[in-house]
Amino acid sequence: MSFMERKNIFNILVILLFGVLCAGLVNLELLQGRKFRRLSDSNCIRLIEQAGARGNILDRNGQVIVDNMISYDVLVLPQELSRIDHVLGEVSRILDVDAGSLKAAFKNNFFSSSIPVTIASNIDLSKAILLGEYKIEEPSIIVQPRPLRHYPYGPLACHVIGYVNQIDRWRLTKLEDYGYKTKDIVGFGGVEERYDYYLRQEEGGLSVEVNHRGKFTRVLGFEPPKNGKDIKLTMELGLQKIAEEALSGRKGSVVLMDPVSGEVLAMANYPNFDPSVFVNKRARSISALFNNPDAPLINRAISSSYPPASVFKLVVASAALELKKINASTTVICKGWTMVGKRKFSCWDVHGRQDIIEAIAHSCDIFFYKAGLLLGGQNIHDYALKFGFGKATGFELPYETSGFIPSPLWRSLNKFQGWFDGDTANLSIGQGDCLVTPLQITVMTAAFANGGYLPDPHIVKAVGELDLTARKKRSLRLPFKKSTFELVRRGMRSVVSAPKGTGSALSSLPVKVAGKTGTAQVSRGATHAWFAGFFPYEKPKYVICVFLENGGPGHAATLVARRIIEEMNKQGAI
Amino acid sequence: MRSSFFRILVLALLIACLGVMSIYSSTYQKEGALWQDIYKRQILWLAIGLICFLLMSQFNYRRLWDMNYLLYALAVFFLFLVFVLGIIRLGAQRWLRFAWFNFQPSEFAKLAVIIFLARYFSRKSAEDISLLSGKFGIFKGIILPFIFVSVPMFLIIEQPDLGSGLMLLLVFVSLLYLTDVRLKYIFTLMALLVLPVPFFWHFLRDYQKQRLLVFMNPNIDPLGAGYTVIQSRIAIGSGGFFGKGWLSGTQSQLYFLPESHTDFIFATFSEQWGFLGSVLLLLMYYLIVRQGFIIAQRTQDSFGRLLAYGISLLFALQVFINIAMNMGLAPVVGLPLPLMSYGGSSVLITFIALGILVNIDRRRSVF
Repeated sequence: MSFMERKNIFNILVILLFGVLCAGLVNLELLQGRKFRRLSDSNCIRLIEQAGARGNILDRNGQVIVDNMISYDVLVLPQELSRIDHVLGEVSRILDVDAGSLKAAFKNNFFSSSIPVTIASNIDLSKAILLGEYKIEEPSIIVQPRPLRHYPYGPLACHVIGYVNQIDRWRLTKLEDYGYKTKDIVGFGGVEERYDYYLRQEEGGLSVEVNHRGKFTRVLGFEPPKNGKDIKLTMELGLQKIAEEALSGRKGSVVLMDPVSGEVLAMANYPNFDPSVFVNKRARSISALFNNPDAPLINRAISSSYPPASVFKLVVASAALELKKINASTTVICKGWTMVGKRKFSCWDVHGRQDIIEAIAHSCDIFFYKAGLLLGGQNIHDYALKFGFGKATGFELPYETSGFIPSPLWRSLNKFQGWFDGDTANLSIGQGDCLVTPLQITVMTAAFANGGYLPDPHIVKAVGELDLTARKKRSLRLPFKKSTFELVRRGMRSVVSAPKGTGSALSSLPVKVAGKTGTAQVSRGATHAWFAGFFPYEKPKYVICVFLENGGPGHAATLVARRIIEEMNKQGAI
Repeated sequence: MRSSFFRILVLALLIACLGVMSIYSSTYQKEGALWQDIYKRQILWLAIGLICFLLMSQFNYRRLWDMNYLLYALAVFFLFLVFVLGIIRLGAQRWLRFAWFNFQPSEFAKLAVIIFLARYFSRKSAEDISLLSGKFGIFKGIILPFIFVSVPMFLIIEQPDLGSGLMLLLVFVSLLYLTDVRLKYIFTLMALLVLPVPFFWHFLRDYQKQRLLVFMNPNIDPLGAGYTVIQSRIAIGSGGFFGKGWLSGTQSQLYFLPESHTDFIFATFSEQWGFLGSVLLLLMYYLIVRQGFIIAQRTQDSFGRLLAYGISLLFALQVFINIAMNMGLAPVVGLPLPLMSYGGSSVLITFIALGILVNIDRRRSVF
């Protein structure tokens, strides 16, 4: 009796025990199976990365501006740690470096016995070949080629290109979702930053299986590294060289653009920098760049804004003609000064009777004070915006500034001050709070060159196989009368052709140039010099903007422009 | 009945084949002739085991009644030999070295103690042919058999092999429960055994304490004592539903899992065959245990009944504790998985025990 009850308990007990085991299996293999699978994989799978090459940057004709150079790293596979000292000794003999430094590098970089350790990087080809021979004897040595950024022209077009460096925290937090990792090399500034996603290579690598001691057992898979996409610029290498040489150490910026398509053919800035210092990690040169008060890393053509001075008179002239405040026969007598309210505003010279064409040619301030006062501050502001000032041009490169055009409305809203006629007069000659970038001036000049279209400036022609030209915005038609452009164009031509024109230095050139000079007064230091123009006059192929920061009178910029145009002519570019 | 003979034989051979496959999968990549041949040795042991099974299934188990003192004495003698040799060689050991194999007396002792207890509790009085165990007082019912059990148990724990030692105790308590010995005696014994457990803590060896602490939380020592359990759980869990496939278990074949062919063979098996294979394996083990219980229930002989229960329970408890320990549900004690783990003594004794089981069923009609 009691026996029957007791034995039933054992039946139940055994079923219970096996039930517990089944529940344990369900828990481990079904509920937590994925987690344990991952743990098991991380036990035995190791990845050995292989770097691809970053995309090249080419000029419009496919000439290389930036490419990659193969550098060689020496790695050892520390599977048999006992032999490491001997191997390091041999390597130090071949590389002719101190064995202690190799040992230190080995210690610092050691991660696991299955992962190769970098002991020396950037060695030259001959030593790499020597090591390759030694590898037959000692197979744990790996000589790995690694592509590094190479700049065959040094600092040429450095602001357009930008530089590459290890990713910083700010960029990492932004780009983590796009697969960027710490220690990735990414672009800073210029095309390198803007098109980093396309330029960057995809790391390939080996996935290998290792055993419990981390010893290699077999290769599981190989993913070849993918090179980044090449970027083709609209820039032309020859023109860029001419522009940089003409600038020759003067602080400032030169922009050369196709007036119809908006393709930027050259964009030179000074002070510049050599992007290779970031590749070679020369810490002192890098910190010198960052601490330089002249800010050599800044792309002055788009990232800094300056008073446009007399170049702005083209805007005022167009506005006044459009709003019929003046016409072709309106004249103003320049006595060298005029009174605006109770203040005396003077001209830089005494010009006598001036019509609009003469006023542009001689850059007569009095004429434009009068024209500006007829227009009023708000009208000047509105027309400046129509020419693309006061807002970013939408250029591809990062860190473009929008510049600034003041207006009575802005003044009362933000400064709680009134707008006086004196302010209008100042704005009429592009002084006061008015700030523009050299690229904005280039775009405005292009509108006079091509007869009224505001082009969309750009510098990237193609990304990989994809031609971006078709994707660019169409040029914007400015809704002005044809006669307006015609008159201002004639004025710009006489800047060069008139005997007393401010740009008469260009009259001796074999090509007909039209343009406008500017001399911007600044609170401190010498004046900024501007020259904005286009050539040939009849069928413009180029728009040029020369800007010299604290470079003296507009004449200085004109001379730079002359050197560029002369050189271009000599090379048959026109 | 012939059917129980075939059922048990087929199930045991199936499990043993899976065992050989798992042993092969976890050792075939290791270097050295010893490792390469280990699965062949297991096959040899299985063949010997099979012969023993066939012999024992013909051998009248009633003769074990007469031999029980001899078997008991032999077991104690072997254990004592191990104990003495351990002292002489200044090192712990669990086996005796014979000509070309190692013999593990604790495996033999488990079976001998079961035979001894089965006989002890199934003696009948000369007057009315009723079982004596119902009339046992506390001394004859509990204390005397406990002394008989504790001698080999002490020697086994001293080896040190806490798992096998406690296994004896568990089987003793279970068998006691099946006899007519009064329940209050049994509970008194259990209370006496359980109460001083905290006191026994001080008698445990350092590594045994460590294992118990690690059982509570394997992560306190992930590279030391906890390593095996962590890797074993990873091995089982990573098998998923269908497993990684035979010879594709990374945990066992790349040696992340220690003892993958002995105590942790279940993890090796489960990694490769997954949930499906593991549940089928459990089912096969359960069917053997169930067959044992059925045999025990339908035999009329009280000695045979207790013997069958003892063998089935020993088998079931070993399977449970080993697999639970593989899954981290029980502390790591050195217990092999019957029929699967590599080891001659375990295979041999298990087959002998199953042979006895089959024989009990065959003799049923005689009595």
